[in-house]
Amino acid sequence: MTRVCALMLAILVAAGGFVAGRAAAQDAIKIGFFAPLTGFAAADGASAKHSAEIAVEEINVAGGIKGRKVELVVYDDRHDSKEAVALATKLVEKDGVVGIVSGSYSMPSRVTAPIFAKAGLPVTVAYAVHPDVTKAGPCVFRNGFLGQVEGAAGAESAVKLLKAKRIAVLTIKNDFGLVAGAAFIERARKLGAEIVSEQQYPLGEKEFGPYLTKLKDQPIDLIYHTSYYNEGSLIARKARELGIKALLEGTEGIDSPKYLELAGAAAEGTTFTTNLNRDDPRAEVQGFLRKYAAKAGTGADMVGASAYDAVKILVRGIEVGGTDPKAICGALQNLRDYPAITGKISKFTKGEVTKPVQIQIVRDGKIRSFGVIDNPDVITPPVQ
Amino acid sequence: MLLQQLVNGLTVGSLYALMALGLTMVYGVLRVLHIAHAAVFTLGAYGGLWAFQATGSFWAALAAAMASAVLAGLAMERWVYWPLLAKPPIATLIASIGVFIGLEEVFRIVAGPQPYSLDVPLLLPDVRVGPVLVTAPQLLVIAVTAALLGALWLFIARTPLGLALRATSQDRDMAAACGMNVRRVVTLNFALGSALAGAAGVLVGIYYNSVSPTMGGVTGYKGLAIIVLGGMGSIPGTVLGALLVGVVETILISLVDFALPRDAWAFLAMIAVFLFRPQGLLGR
Repeated sequence: MTRVCALMLAILVAAGGFVAGRAAAQDAIKIGFFAPLTGFAAADGASAKHSAEIAVEEINVAGGIKGRKVELVVYDDRHDSKEAVALATKLVEKDGVVGIVSGSYSMPSRVTAPIFAKAGLPVTVAYAVHPDVTKAGPCVFRNGFLGQVEGAAGAESAVKLLKAKRIAVLTIKNDFGLVAGAAFIERARKLGAEIVSEQQYPLGEKEFGPYLTKLKDQPIDLIYHTSYYNEGSLIARKARELGIKALLEGTEGIDSPKYLELAGAAAEGTTFTTNLNRDDPRAEVQGFLRKYAAKAGTGADMVGASAYDAVKILVRGIEVGGTDPKAICGALQNLRDYPAITGKISKFTKGEVTKPVQIQIVRDGKIRSFGVIDNPDVITPPVQ
Repeated sequence: MLLQQLVNGLTVGSLYALMALGLTMVYGVLRVLHIAHAAVFTLGAYGGLWAFQATGSFWAALAAAMASAVLAGLAMERWVYWPLLAKPPIATLIASIGVFIGLEEVFRIVAGPQPYSLDVPLLLPDVRVGPVLVTAPQLLVIAVTAALLGALWLFIARTPLGLALRATSQDRDMAAACGMNVRRVVTLNFALGSALAGAAGVLVGIYYNSVSPTMGGVTGYKGLAIIVLGGMGSIPGTVLGALLVGVVETILISLVDFALPRDAWAFLAMIAVFLFRPQGLLGR
């Protein structure tokens, strides 16, 4: 009798163990994700979310991570710091995520990074540019460029590729704009160009008549501006309306099909620095562009491509390090030559990325490749 | 260059005037701060965008913008302001802010958060007078504004309904006692103010080639500063205030590399008016 009992017990335990084992294999690996899905930045939030979902679908279709599916836990930060802190706390305490992807702007990324750092969770930041984001801890990794890198790369493109000698600079008054503008001016002067005008304007400016009228009757080869697509398209239209013939160069802020739509014919010939090269022949890049267009109904942008990469980079960390946050963090610190769709990442230095800067150009109403800046003096992130 | 900046400033000022007139007219007859006017303006822009996409005609866009704005303005008058009129003024103010925020979110949900292009091909030429260039979009804004303001002036100064409107704005109870249908005058007033805001919405959309859910915000608040500057309820004062704000902020940007955003000047002017001339430039 005891034998039978023991046997049955053994079978039960084995079966229980088997069931539990299967459940563990099926348990999805959770990744936290936040973006501004409502409010003024909702268009970027939607792009980031679409792209993050494409990345997760691709991973799951290919069998997940070592047989376990990946699940995105999505939050809306509404570009509000209180909201961001609340969702960060939820992600840390309740959701059981192994890492987080920021698909958001600098402000929500900046207030949440220290919370994740304190909990020891790794964070990949898609496109937020503020320098403080990566200073929260050793496990915050930025996929986008710092303002310094983008400004200096813009100067390389303006002076070396476009041969501009007399340049006017229009800077948007926020952290990214000022840093990128200053880096552009420094590098352009070093390369021998003359900066004939430096003007600043507030975020959300609509009327560029006053600024551009000042440039109207001067011989200027190029106008460099650090705008987002709303302001950038108005600059382009107003400049052409006033008969200004100078070339226009912008930053990743105008990297969006919306820039083409809002600027119309005035967009033609604009160059800008970014990380997404639409003419990249690699299958994963073209595949992403295709899937994005099918899902979002518009062409892909820098924000989306960066969010896609941020998910995939974190997943690479999990593939190498497992689900222990510390191991994921270590794996990303040691990441080398990772083929992101926004360019090959040589490595992360104190969380800052090293990869080439793409110069894209608007030609016949389409965004095409114009050049690549891979000069190490320019693209190495300025961190010690 | 100063003359060129004057043209830039007058264009912006014209848009402010169209927007702010509705605010001042509503304040004139109801003594209500009509914050939701900014949503009427945005709706006008969307109405114009829709009509332009459907027909490709500027005139259809302008008509649709004004018509949709009138409908929205009348609906607010009928279901928000009139029922609350007996309550303390704070009730209408808060309701108005609520309607504004609510409608902004409705625009976002219906049309999406992204800005739309409203690229209307203009048959107007660029006009060059000596060193001054008036571009086709600027010409459009100034011409349409001048025509609408002219029509408004004729209506108010030369028609019996215009007389009733002026009387009601001077003293509502007295006008009612003299047998005027105050309710009808108020309705008319909302219709006129909203039509102008709708026109302003579609013109701003064309001028900046952008229609978005939040486009009413800054313009709306600046409209409040402008009507204070001009004298609450004074129509000529509002036009003067709007043009003044447009020109001054434009010229200040071009003359001084000063770190104050352009939107701040209107509010500084408003504070100065409250301190030194509370009745406004042309107020009584």
